[in-house]
Amino acid sequence: MKKGFKIIFIMAFFSLGIPVACKKSFLETTNTFQGSQEATFNKPADVISLVNAIYDTYQNSDLLKKSIWYWANFETHDFFNWGGDVMWNNYQIPATFGAINTFWTYSYIGIARANAAFGVITKAKDKGVIDQALADRLSGEAYFLRGMTYYYLASSFGGVPLELSAITNGLTPRSSRDSVFKQVVADMQKAESLLLSKSSLPVADLGRATKGAAYAYEGSARMWLKDYQGALAAFNNPELTTKYSLMQNFADVHEYDKQNNNESLFEVQFYKKAGDPQDWSGSWQPPGAELAWIDSFSWPQELTGQGYDYGNPALWLSYQTGDKRKLLTIVGPGDTLASPGIIAKLGGLKGYNQVKQGFNGGNPIYTGDDGKILNTVGTLTRPWYGDDKGRTGYYCSKKWRDPNLTGGNSNEQGQSNLFGDQNQILMRYAEVLLSRAECKVRLNDIPGAMADLKLVRDRAWGGAAPATMQDGANYDGTAAQPITDPLQMVLSEYRHELTGEYSLFYNLCRAGTDVAIAFIKKANGTVDGSYDPIPNPAPGPTHDGQKHGLYNTTLTANRVLMPIPQAAIALNPNLTQNPGY
Amino acid sequence: MRQKSSSYAREIKRWLSLSLFLVLCLAAVSQTRTVTGKVVDPDARPLANATVSVKGTNTSTSTDTDGAYSINMPANSTVLVFSFVGFQTSEVDVRTNIVVNVTLQLLNNNMNEVVVIGYGTQKRKDVTGSISSVPAKQIEQVPVANLSQALQGRAAGVQIVNNDAAPGGNTSVLIRGIGSLASGGNNPLYVIDGYPTTGGIQNINPNDIASIDVLKDASATAIYGIRAANGVVIVTTKKGTRGKVQVFLDMYLSMQSEPKQYDLLNAFDWATLSNEVEAADSTHTYHGMPIWKTPAQLHSVDWQDAMYRKGLMQNYTVGFRGGSDKVQTAFSFGYFDQKGIVLGSYFKRYSLNLNVDFQPTTWLRSSTSAKYAYQDANVPFGTGSLFQLAVNPPTLDSGNRKTFLIKDGQGNYGFYNPQNSNVFKFNNPVYSVETNDYSNITNYLLASSFLEATLYDGLKLKTNFGVNLSNFTGSYFQPEDNRANLQYPGSIVSSAFYHQNMNNNFEWVWENTLSYDHTFGKHTINFVGGISAQKNTTNLMGAGGTPPNNVVRDLGQVSNLKFDQYGNGQLVSTLASEFARLTYGYNDRYILTGTIRRDGSSRFDTNNKYGVFPSGAIAWKVTNESFMQDVSWLSDLKLRASYGEVGNQNSIGLYQYQALYATGFPSNVNGGGVDNLGYPFNKLYQNGIAQTQPANPDLKWETDVQTDIGIDAALLGGALTFTVDWFKRDSKDFLLTLAAPAQTGYTYITRNVGSMNNKGIEVAINYRATAGKDFNYGIGLTLAHIKNTLTGITSGTNFVTNFGGLGLTGQGWDEFTRSYVGGEVGEFFGYQSLGIFQTKAQIDALNGKAPGGIYWRAATKPGDRYYADINGDNVVNADDRISLGNPQPNVFGGLNFDATYKAWDFNLYFYGVFGNKILNFNESNLESFQKRGSEGVENVSVEYYNNHWTPSRPSNRFARALANDDATGNLLPSSAWIEDGSFVKMKNLMIGYTLPTSWSSKYSISRLRLYVSFQNLFTITKYSGLDPEIGIQGANPTQNGVDNGTYPTSRFYTFGLNLTF
Repeated sequence: MKKGFKIIFIMAFFSLGIPVACKKSFLETTNTFQGSQEATFNKPADVISLVNAIYDTYQNSDLLKKSIWYWANFETHDFFNWGGDVMWNNYQIPATFGAINTFWTYSYIGIARANAAFGVITKAKDKGVIDQALADRLSGEAYFLRGMTYYYLASSFGGVPLELSAITNGLTPRSSRDSVFKQVVADMQKAESLLLSKSSLPVADLGRATKGAAYAYEGSARMWLKDYQGALAAFNNPELTTKYSLMQNFADVHEYDKQNNNESLFEVQFYKKAGDPQDWSGSWQPPGAELAWIDSFSWPQELTGQGYDYGNPALWLSYQTGDKRKLLTIVGPGDTLASPGIIAKLGGLKGYNQVKQGFNGGNPIYTGDDGKILNTVGTLTRPWYGDDKGRTGYYCSKKWRDPNLTGGNSNEQGQSNLFGDQNQILMRYAEVLLSRAECKVRLNDIPGAMADLKLVRDRAWGGAAPATMQDGANYDGTAAQPITDPLQMVLSEYRHELTGEYSLFYNLCRAGTDVAIAFIKKANGTVDGSYDPIPNPAPGPTHDGQKHGLYNTTLTANRVLMPIPQAAIALNPNLTQNPGY
Repeated sequence: MRQKSSSYAREIKRWLSLSLFLVLCLAAVSQTRTVTGKVVDPDARPLANATVSVKGTNTSTSTDTDGAYSINMPANSTVLVFSFVGFQTSEVDVRTNIVVNVTLQLLNNNMNEVVVIGYGTQKRKDVTGSISSVPAKQIEQVPVANLSQALQGRAAGVQIVNNDAAPGGNTSVLIRGIGSLASGGNNPLYVIDGYPTTGGIQNINPNDIASIDVLKDASATAIYGIRAANGVVIVTTKKGTRGKVQVFLDMYLSMQSEPKQYDLLNAFDWATLSNEVEAADSTHTYHGMPIWKTPAQLHSVDWQDAMYRKGLMQNYTVGFRGGSDKVQTAFSFGYFDQKGIVLGSYFKRYSLNLNVDFQPTTWLRSSTSAKYAYQDANVPFGTGSLFQLAVNPPTLDSGNRKTFLIKDGQGNYGFYNPQNSNVFKFNNPVYSVETNDYSNITNYLLASSFLEATLYDGLKLKTNFGVNLSNFTGSYFQPEDNRANLQYPGSIVSSAFYHQNMNNNFEWVWENTLSYDHTFGKHTINFVGGISAQKNTTNLMGAGGTPPNNVVRDLGQVSNLKFDQYGNGQLVSTLASEFARLTYGYNDRYILTGTIRRDGSSRFDTNNKYGVFPSGAIAWKVTNESFMQDVSWLSDLKLRASYGEVGNQNSIGLYQYQALYATGFPSNVNGGGVDNLGYPFNKLYQNGIAQTQPANPDLKWETDVQTDIGIDAALLGGALTFTVDWFKRDSKDFLLTLAAPAQTGYTYITRNVGSMNNKGIEVAINYRATAGKDFNYGIGLTLAHIKNTLTGITSGTNFVTNFGGLGLTGQGWDEFTRSYVGGEVGEFFGYQSLGIFQTKAQIDALNGKAPGGIYWRAATKPGDRYYADINGDNVVNADDRISLGNPQPNVFGGLNFDATYKAWDFNLYFYGVFGNKILNFNESNLESFQKRGSEGVENVSVEYYNNHWTPSRPSNRFARALANDDATGNLLPSSAWIEDGSFVKMKNLMIGYTLPTSWSSKYSISRLRLYVSFQNLFTITKYSGLDPEIGIQGANPTQNGVDNGTYPTSRFYTFGLNLTF
């Protein structure tokens, strides 16, 4: 009996105990708390969402405005900063500048999202969740966005680490700048083969990358690589030349009601739900411009209470007579707003509640020189310098198009509409044409280059532009000379067409560091070692001998690259800092 | 657990040989005779069921319930052996006596004690690993809520840190230093009556404990493999006894005094200071409230008085132990209730413990242990909040128009003027504590049962199954507060809020082992091998919102219902393991132990699913060597050495190896921030999904490579024992969620990021002696020195900063520690203060040399702090910050003295740490007139008020008083706030008296002991704050030793009794 019990005990032990503990599946638990790849991507919308999140990294004001836009426009001295970032006006950007760190960080977040997407898309296709066509399009978008991000990284910082795999320790050292641009070319070529044409893109997908956009960035990257022949080929691709065209009226390019227009190749999309508040409590979500955009921040302080950046009178002076781009780019004392949308809705400046209230209150700031309600951006006798007189009196009107915005002050309904949902155009067809012109200049096809310039200039004049290219005046008001050097002609057109957008300084640097420094020096009369503001040297309404935030610091060769963010170096000691920082 | 004796074998042998002649002579006349007597413990309690045997024969008997025995001595036999579990075996020469009464000594000072090791027991003398044992007697001496508090200073190398003195005990247990930087990554494994759990032991009634054994080195712990790197604490509860049922009652009542307080300004002095600051403010930006202009009319409030109170702690344990030869049972019911010394804080626990042992046949036995506890605890205002008491302005005048008191007894609570920017951010903590409702209730059940069959002599098969449940339900309710708004329309209304969360944890373990113990000739083999499976399922949810009124608390009716982020759902983890240990002993001189465990864990990906953890150890019992036979002063000497690898997987959560995707959540979950991830096309918003965590197939457990060399020695015939261990602990691949290089695309990633090293020496010395007939005493000392070094971080940087900020407000206080590679973990970090600038010339001279014309700050004036230019570039900036000292002690330990004299017993216990630094953030608050980190002003200490720098009263210690310090930076983290944190605390003084049996037996009481004890009578320290015993907040070693207003402790005055029927 005793023996029997023992045997039963031993058998029970082995039959029950050991198999449980040794069964391998016992260790395979399912994550029901967070989404694994297997759990998440089981319908097309999920895979699309994965790619949407790559675009999302560009909805970031530190990245878009305080890094790319600042770089494109403050570096040329066409615009200046007022507020916390005034060191940009002297090219004294510290490696600890937070926005540049965000630019770096979010760029790599986007790259990581793209790198992670490729595997997911392939698996989803293999599982039959998405079809080949959608898989191609989504892969193409991921390649495009990764390539575009590397384009801005390399253009801004020089060579950066190339991260091309979903798994990395993040300790990769910097590649050469050329290697990065070659990667951009490779990514864009893949994107060209996978993306949809603009013509076949459903309306609902307006804003997604297209073949044409990929060709535009491929061409730009090739120009950085001095491969002008290859660039020309990309710019001449029918995806660009037949699917995109210049808007007839230059004003329409940046108009609020003409977003995603036929000239736009790639624009960062914003969206504000109808009725959502647009003040600090509303659409503004950290880490910045997550849903809405911040154009009103740069409007005059007198109008919005802000005025965080402002224009250089030299830019205002440089527009050739008859160039319709002038007041649609920069406005100064006595200038009326030229945006069709704002005129339609508000009748110009005089329609803003702040101006009406001020005028009704007898405030001379809002009273025209004729004693009537002000309808110009300051008057010839009372330029809008801001309350500390620290701004030049000139403002960027290219980004003053959304008629709903009021800035920090409120409209008649008592609403302060700081944040809007106007898309931000990173690449448009006019830039492609000007870039193509530069390629042709480099390849000695001067007539071809002139023909491309003429396309852009004729549109700017709303008909036939003058045959002779000549600035309206020099920075000091002296008479300008005709521009005859073909490359300088292209550079001048880059400036007058693209300033206040996201590309000018990049395009100048792409033409060459020395070329950029010389161009900016000539355009603004910069002085070596001059760090303090100077009075406006040019005769005119702001020529009062006082300093109003006009800087003339000379750009140096070291400063054509952004500093690698200190925080990035701190976490990856393999990163070397750019010289001079 | 059969007892064997051998430690005195040699001596006895020698003694025997000396008396050989006599024995031979007596043999001729010897005959069978009866010896009788009584066996008692050192407290003269009878020991029932003690074994009395005739040495060298099979004759033996047991004592009865009164400890009495009677045994027939065969001819030629002269020695009786008395043994009982938990006591030293005693051999007595009985040739000349027929009545022999024996007092058996407790085992705790002896190499013969039995220690509980993983999956078995071992005699202390045969142990090859490093194990500290704490007997029940020591645990019972100090009244504590949390069992781990009772271990403080008792086990060498085990650092019990009282993180604060909140009711219920908030402790960290560090065995042999810090091996991981992660919060909670240093918790040991607990094995409670055979059940392995990482959950801690705060739910166990300390009165139920029979012994605690702390396994410290890899040789001892490796059998627990992937959970063993931080050591293993084995808890054994009291079992039933054979014989008469004993009913017992243990109870105490403990009064706790109010804590020490900061000496703060009253309203008059404070308003006077405000006026002084206003007058000296050259920028004319600070304006006190008009009423402060006339200090004499203000009413003072004392926040410390209002929030501190006397505490009361009660503990009752009733139960019984008893049984027959076949069944033994122990049952206890415990009730513990502590009212904390801070308003609103309490801890209550009801506990049941049941142990049943069956032995139905000689070859089959089982043991079942079940522990239930209900715990209800709350600390609404504790560590981190208490600094408010020191900074809240000492007057409520011009706030609540109904009362200037903290509370007026009519239901009105004072509040600060909601419209004055100097005070509107302060609140009345008494109001919050008394009007908010909190509930934190946990039910615990831990039950395990084994069945063991002896298949063959020495061969045993055992199956053990256990379950471990904990159910937590918590809620928080805050009524709408519109009081300020009623009196000051337009000022803040805080809406009502209700939050409820639940956390339901169920775990089971099943372990099957085979063991074999055999001795043949000079060889002894002990083997245990087995398999184990464990599965943990946690369900949790939490949500909150605005309730419809102040009564209804139904989440279904709240508005703005929000679920906790990542707080709702189910988590499952599993562990499947095989393990084995073989101990081989030769001739009672050489012992070899080899241990191996293979753990399969669900926490890691396929590549790293299984970890193998081997260890080996050798021990040499030197005194058993023939050449030691003549060394009489040394009764025992054993040398030990061990080496092994153990693991740690608790530093990280589940599924950290998986690529994870989420919609609408930030990619940098740890860094905060909101990122919707979505994007619009054609002005229609579309969802976004992004990876929130990259795949990490290489993620693996932390590995600790541990080396231990130890000596166990006994001198003076065993009266003096000491154990010394040198150890080295190399923790590699420690797991951490750490700031990641931006190029990874993630702000934080959990990875195996670094390595750490701990080296140390532990000493435990015990001396037990008798002076005269009735006086027995013992002295015990434990000391440990541990040197911790961060040896590497793979992420690229050479330091990590403190994770989390402890909510320290004030400029620069987001970073206060940096752990550098090559340095110790948690080093304080900041500027070096050189005192206070006395003259403008002094500042001008430094500014003159500075490249930009400014040495430190443009606003610096005489009276401001003077920081050192460390890097010699003539300016002070963030680059001039340095390591300012380490919160980890060089040495820590406990000193215990206990004695008995007749019916009296006495215990004195000290605990001390030496060589550590404290970052006294609170002192910087007490020297700040500016409200830290925001607009407003706050109270300061009397010392600061009387001594702060003014032109007429210079100070090199206290900076000038400012309403805004942000421009001058006088209060940044700096050496000014670093203090020596060494202390010796008198933890316990206890005097007990056991009533004579002549008296107690009249009432059928077998024993009644009364005692009084005092805790925390005094502390010897240089620390200027309230209490130098400052812990590791959030169990995070990067924020250790920061005094930001920790829940204070104070003296306990305890009266208790132990009653046995």
